[in-house]
Amino acid sequence: MGEQEKMEKSDMPLTALREGETGIVTSIKSGPGRGYGRGIGFERRLMDMGLTPGTEVVVIKSALFHGPIEISVRGSRLALGRGIAERIFVVKKSA
Amino acid sequence: MPKRKITIALAGNANVGKSVIFNHLTGLHQHIGNWPGKTVERAEGTLHFRGHTIDIVDLPGIYSLSTYSLEEMISRKYIVVERPDLVINVVDASVLERNLFFTLQLIELRTPMVIALNQIDVAKKKGIKIDVEKLEKLLGVPVVPTVAIKGIGIFQLLEKAIEIIEKGQETKRIEVRYEEEVEERIAKLAKMIEGIQFWYPPRYAAIKLLEGDEEIERIIHRINPQITYTAKKLANELENIYGHSCATIITSERYGIAGCIAREVQKLVPPIKPTKEERFHTLTTHKILGYPIMVFLLLLVFHSIFTFGNYASELLRNFFYNWEFLFTDFFGIGVIGKLVWGGIIEGIISGITIAIPYIVPFYFILYFLEDSGYLSRIAFLMDNAMHKIGLHGKAFIPLLLGYGCNVPACLGCRIMETERERLLAAFVTTLVPCAARTVIILGLVGQFMGIQWALMLYVFNLVVIFILGRLAFKMLPGEPTALIMEMSDYRLPHLKTVVKQTWSRLVEFIKIAFPLIIVGSFVIKLTEVLGLLEPIATSFSFITVMWLGLPAATGIALIFGILRKELTLIMLAVLLGTTNFAQVLTPIQMIVFTLVIMFYIPCIATIAALVKEFGWKKALLMTVFEIAFAIILGGVALRVLTLIV
Repeated sequence: MGEQEKMEKSDMPLTALREGETGIVTSIKSGPGRGYGRGIGFERRLMDMGLTPGTEVVVIKSALFHGPIEISVRGSRLALGRGIAERIFVVKKSA
Repeated sequence: MPKRKITIALAGNANVGKSVIFNHLTGLHQHIGNWPGKTVERAEGTLHFRGHTIDIVDLPGIYSLSTYSLEEMISRKYIVVERPDLVINVVDASVLERNLFFTLQLIELRTPMVIALNQIDVAKKKGIKIDVEKLEKLLGVPVVPTVAIKGIGIFQLLEKAIEIIEKGQETKRIEVRYEEEVEERIAKLAKMIEGIQFWYPPRYAAIKLLEGDEEIERIIHRINPQITYTAKKLANELENIYGHSCATIITSERYGIAGCIAREVQKLVPPIKPTKEERFHTLTTHKILGYPIMVFLLLLVFHSIFTFGNYASELLRNFFYNWEFLFTDFFGIGVIGKLVWGGIIEGIISGITIAIPYIVPFYFILYFLEDSGYLSRIAFLMDNAMHKIGLHGKAFIPLLLGYGCNVPACLGCRIMETERERLLAAFVTTLVPCAARTVIILGLVGQFMGIQWALMLYVFNLVVIFILGRLAFKMLPGEPTALIMEMSDYRLPHLKTVVKQTWSRLVEFIKIAFPLIIVGSFVIKLTEVLGLLEPIATSFSFITVMWLGLPAATGIALIFGILRKELTLIMLAVLLGTTNFAQVLTPIQMIVFTLVIMFYIPCIATIAALVKEFGWKKALLMTVFEIAFAIILGGVALRVLTLIV
């Protein structure tokens, strides 16, 4: 990372970003409780879609009433349910 | 060289134009079925080119070969075990990086391949220019640019494919190399695997073991458990070094390579103004406006289907009944004549006059919307609502289908990722009033009590769906559900592909529903001819008369409604001796009757569809539950309504 980017230190769930903001993926939490076992499936699936640690994600849209969010990652447009988006942790990249 | 049969498989991400290329290649010579024992579609076709007979297999659209889903497992097994002569990897030029991630996995599998770089026109519109020669050189795999929708590049693609099969592929492709620490361990494992007999290339198997691939782990464990133990140990070491799971490390690196290649071969000049497609996307997924637009479009769709369907249905029916006299001349109007005409022929006619006019346009519009990309936007908009009943946005699509006919809707539940979601979606779908039930709701309650009552029943239906869906969701154990879905750019659908999808769906529908419709009408006619209607009605009167407060004759309509739901109203008219139902039924009776019709199992064809998708046990369980639920609900409604009025 040659550019001098100011990053906020703590990571936060992807859903904490506002529309138009960019984050860098730090980790994906497989779900606690009833998510055991298959929770790992989600993690794999998200990574296969390109959400690996270090990837830039732009939040495009967030639906009302805690609906799904639309993100842009590696040139593709993904829709993520709120629950799954909350498990993706990012650090905010300030422009 | 004697010409032998060649097999070519098409592989790639979803929505990259794979099926369009498949249709270009195979034309009319195609067959769509299922993978053995699986509810995943398998499209196959043949083609003759330069004296070769070529079998083309269209693999399901997937993003990876990590066996997260049934589709991925099937695809990987097919490539490795059945070994097609060549894999055509269809790549979406407008989302190059993610597509290359999949390409790299194919390369690691060491399958002979050629890349169809599709949708270069879309990429150009988005300001992406790709250096094809450079990409070819970097990957060491031939790349043919195509615009499948216009048929551009298909011939060259086929030529290249044949050339590779005839001459063999030059092996100067890139070796997907990971960081030192990872490579060391891959080499160690690969060496161990080389010693055993295994379908997969040793290096590939080693990588997959490190990634924790359950399938490969299981097989290798049976051959030599020592290898899997070593793999676990090595994976642990890596996890300690990098602080991530081993699957994460390897996936990240693979994506890193894909990203490097993508950046190297593409030039980005983003257009200053957002494209037409982009603006359309923004509008149709708008937080507020998106919903009225969706409602308007869906109403338009249903309205046009029913208008067209009514017209065409009438036309077809008149056509067939014009020939009835010929038939009665031949068979007479005795018992045999009645049975053959009323039982078999009328069954076929009603099948045709229902299926063709309604199902065909329904499927056509559905696939049109799917290919255009709009269905995924609907799923986005409805995700929140569907989560309330434990499903995600995609489940809205079979639910929507259910308003037309429950049979395709149950089959449509395949778009859900897990078995549990499929089952849940199918259960909810069978509660949706299909077109045949709409006829009853509108023809009885709507006609004789006013449209506001009919609408109230629809709203009540939604409430019940919500409650039952939620209960089922709480009761069915399993993993939480989540929407992870690509919304690819809007595009104009390829008409021929849409027509073919419609056609193959229609064939599937006919296979499931027609035999049952015919058997159903034959049974009805037979009971009538044998004079058994009356006894059957009385034997069920403890339910119909005592519990539901309906005339005994309605029992017959309810029972045979399972066989031919669209006939329920006509049958009721015959049984009660009038079409003016207001004379024979009180408003409360109408509502009770309609409620029961609305919720008890849709029809025998739907049961067959459920059996096909979920097996006898689950289908039977759902059927029994829904019948019991409808009867209980009807009785309770009677008592509550009597109290109120």
